[in-house]
Amino acid sequence: MKNINRGLLCLVAISLLCCVVSAQKTKEEPKPVEEKIPAGSKVFISPIPEFDTFLKDAFKAKKVPMVLVDDKSQADYEITGASNSQKASTAKKLIMGSWHSSEEASINLVNLKSGATVFAYSVHKSDSAHGKKSTAEACAKHLKDRIESK
Amino acid sequence: MKIIKALFSALVVLSLVTAIVASPQEKSVLGTAKKQIPPGSKIYIAPMKDGFETFVTAGIIKKQVQLVVVNSRDKADYEMTGVSETDKAGWAKMLILGSDNSNEQASIKVVEISSGEVVYGYSVHKQNSYRGKQSAGEACAKHLKETIAK
Repeated sequence: MKNINRGLLCLVAISLLCCVVSAQKTKEEPKPVEEKIPAGSKVFISPIPEFDTFLKDAFKAKKVPMVLVDDKSQADYEITGASNSQKASTAKKLIMGSWHSSEEASINLVNLKSGATVFAYSVHKSDSAHGKKSTAEACAKHLKDRIESK
Repeated sequence: MKIIKALFSALVVLSLVTAIVASPQEKSVLGTAKKQIPPGSKIYIAPMKDGFETFVTAGIIKKQVQLVVVNSRDKADYEMTGVSETDKAGWAKMLILGSDNSNEQASIKVVEISSGEVVYGYSVHKQNSYRGKQSAGEACAKHLKETIAK
């Protein structure tokens, strides 16, 4: 009789464990489907004040597998974004001992056919060694990683 | 007889645990008819001050929010509008606190375009924001993710 009770307890414990595991599985959040960005796609970089030229240079420096075009109508994708730069103030130079600027930038890559944003990235560098060049290259690097990830 | 009793009690416990673990926990407040945003909905993010919309978009992609960001209001089911403000660290803050991080505040609201109803609103204030606008944008995206229907 004791053996039967033990067996029952084991059965209940296993079934409870199964319930908890299955509940955990159902709790997993679905991830949005990431659209593939084909290498060699044509991209148009919208004017971003004092940043788009840095971004174009970064594309070349980081060898991003995309073709830059000047005409939006010829492009498959469009990059929009924003950038803010804060030069080191006298206080920062004296108190923090840093001459580097503080930079932040954000870019969005939009599929012009569907209008959906397929990639977006933002970066903040409080002591940017190379100013806007650093943030632009960070954006380009992460875009390249995204293209080559699949 | 004992076996039947044990089996019955095990079944009761099992069904109770399943009901508790598997049922969605609703967090509703009386008096607020809160509409949920269905996953996969298309959202248009209107331009905000200093390009904060691109930081929010980057946050939405990074936090894997179940929404499709589109570049045109006509294609969207929802529209996000908002404001953001950055307060850069002054010399006194650097001297007294030894911090050159900015203070960031932002507020967003999401409107269902078809009905004009505000379905979501959130505001964030970050003192000593380590990553500036990026932190505020990601906070908005993270909290938006929590309200999307699963």
